Amino acid sequence: MTEIDVRQKVLAANAAAAAGLRSAFRDTGTLVVNLISSPGSGKTTLLEATAGALRGRFRLGALDGDIATERDAERLRRQGIPARQILTGGACHLDARQIEKALSDEDGRLSALDILFIENVGNLICPTSYDLGEDFKVALLSVAEGDDKPFKYPAIFARAAVTVVTKADLLAHVDFDLDAVRSQVAALNPSGKLLVTSSRTGAGLEAWYALLANALADKRAAQVLALR
Amino acid sequence: MHETGLAIEAHKIARAAADARRGGAIESVTLVVGELSAVEPELLAFAWEAVVSGTPDAGARLVVEWRRASQHCAACGDIAERAAGSWLRLCPRCDGPLAVTGGDELDVRSVVFCEGGDA
Repeated sequence: MTEIDVRQKVLAANAAAAAGLRSAFRDTGTLVVNLISSPGSGKTTLLEATAGALRGRFRLGALDGDIATERDAERLRRQGIPARQILTGGACHLDARQIEKALSDEDGRLSALDILFIENVGNLICPTSYDLGEDFKVALLSVAEGDDKPFKYPAIFARAAVTVVTKADLLAHVDFDLDAVRSQVAALNPSGKLLVTSSRTGAGLEAWYALLANALADKRAAQVLALR
Repeated sequence: MHETGLAIEAHKIARAAADARRGGAIESVTLVVGELSAVEPELLAFAWEAVVSGTPDAGARLVVEWRRASQHCAACGDIAERAAGSWLRLCPRCDGPLAVTGGDELDVRSVVFCEGGDA
């Protein structure tokens, strides 16, 4: 018997692909946002609103991960932005190699964008582990899901730079303690931002759009500095 | 349920490490798994068994070293009072804010294999 030290990341192959994507996105100055939430918390609806509001200002595009159906990508294409569905055929998350392949299959239509949204498979657990070369992760939590979720799913809320509370127009109808969510997110992720939104009424969306515009401006500024 | 994919990756890494030493069948693989790695150790062990069966490494053991995340207070340091599987909203000593550190490990730490030729 021989014992050897390996000390290698299990997800090393994914990390290598993600590093390649990150470098390509740096070159094109594309802001990449990885949206993660449970099914039905409003990822596609938030992106529909975002596409409608920002497509005149920025070149937007989306990759939509789902187990089955082209429905999400079709919804976003109807909002006038290029979108490609990635069907995982049962897998519970997207990995960086699927992103690479989808971008290459699109043959340039999803490159040279200002903002690329990656809508992950609806799941609060598995997608957390897979780096997709994004600038940051966004966790969505709809008020109908309950106010105990950050502590129940700590990995995603600890890693998401932004938590977006969605369906705030339902707050009057559900027992959802916003302050409890704020304090849980703050405990897991002191530097994380939290936005309260309703895609139906538009409440809070201006802050979301401003956050995206600022993050893109920061990325472009860093790109200019790097070229000097 | 992405443990199967992780077991496949871990087996590939372990096999490559053993092959680099011209090793034979794998006896055991030790993985370091953090509390925030989104991995359920029992599911991983189940997936591992399925992944190695039908390969020359069938029956290889998977040893999981579990690592907890730590809630850290800038003033008081690491907070040992946190019960497993629960989180504190504020530092129990000074009511200050807490940060979470560590717990995201997911590494192949070591591999034990038979000498080449006796596999």
